[in-house]
Amino acid sequence: MEKNEWILGELDRLFIEQKDFRHLALIKAARDIIKEQDKRIWQMEGELDGTLWSPKRWDE
Amino acid sequence: MKTLVIISHPDILESGSQQFLLNAVPKEGVTVHHLETAYPDGKINVEKEHQLLETHDRIIFQFPFYWYSSPAFLKQWQDEVLVEGFAHGKAGGRLVGKEFGLIFMLGVHEREYQAGGRELFTISELTRPFQAVAHKTGMIYLRPLTVYQFAYMNDEEKMDLYIQYQQKLTNKNDSSLAAREDWMVEQINKLDTKDLEPEAADILKHAAELMTTNRTTIDELQVVMDQMW
Repeated sequence: MEKNEWILGELDRLFIEQKDFRHLALIKAARDIIKEQDKRIWQMEGELDGTLWSPKRWDE
Repeated sequence: MKTLVIISHPDILESGSQQFLLNAVPKEGVTVHHLETAYPDGKINVEKEHQLLETHDRIIFQFPFYWYSSPAFLKQWQDEVLVEGFAHGKAGGRLVGKEFGLIFMLGVHEREYQAGGRELFTISELTRPFQAVAHKTGMIYLRPLTVYQFAYMNDEEKMDLYIQYQQKLTNKNDSSLAAREDWMVEQINKLDTKDLEPEAADILKHAAELMTTNRTTIDELQVVMDQMW
């Protein structure tokens, strides 16, 4: 997802600029969660796509 | 939810891992209670301990793993505080329904705590007495937070630990992605933006909004997939 890619880039930039450990930990954790969400969405969309195009469903 | 962190460490000021975790303690909802500081003479005020336990919902034992257990003072605390009539027995049951968890530090690599490893037994096996305490007192045993070889951790591993620790103290007993998202959104929303540049605060707020949007997308995709099967 484009929005996720954009925010991940911004969080990466922020991570390099920040010095406070508490903020760095929070930025990293936020980045990790969005990465995990993005992966999950990609996998679910892939699974949905695969299911829709499955020959098992062509007769339906 | 109120969390009580009962720490036992004979030399907490000299412990890098304990000091690190103390710095990570959230400002709200958590009471830290270091036994060796509270009772330097070793005499435990049992009534005060009972009050502390009763006024908190989640009880955490935090300690270095000494000979596959806690330091001796935490065992003494259990012997004197978790007595019949309070923690168990017919007139007891005052801890029923509370959550109980362990946070402990180990000097050996994680891979050694398994069959075939140098320590042979798993952490779940070695912590059985604590699990039995939770069972006997009617508390819900939480997944432990184990910190292996803190001294060898790099900065990013320490950042992960910082967040995992805060979650262990304040997040609900659910380690799913959805629960971690909720916790993170809450943290960002209550972030003190005074010591953060406005642009940085904006990016984090935007990240929190996107997390919520992503969650809606995941849930909607799940509904479609459930309908297909």
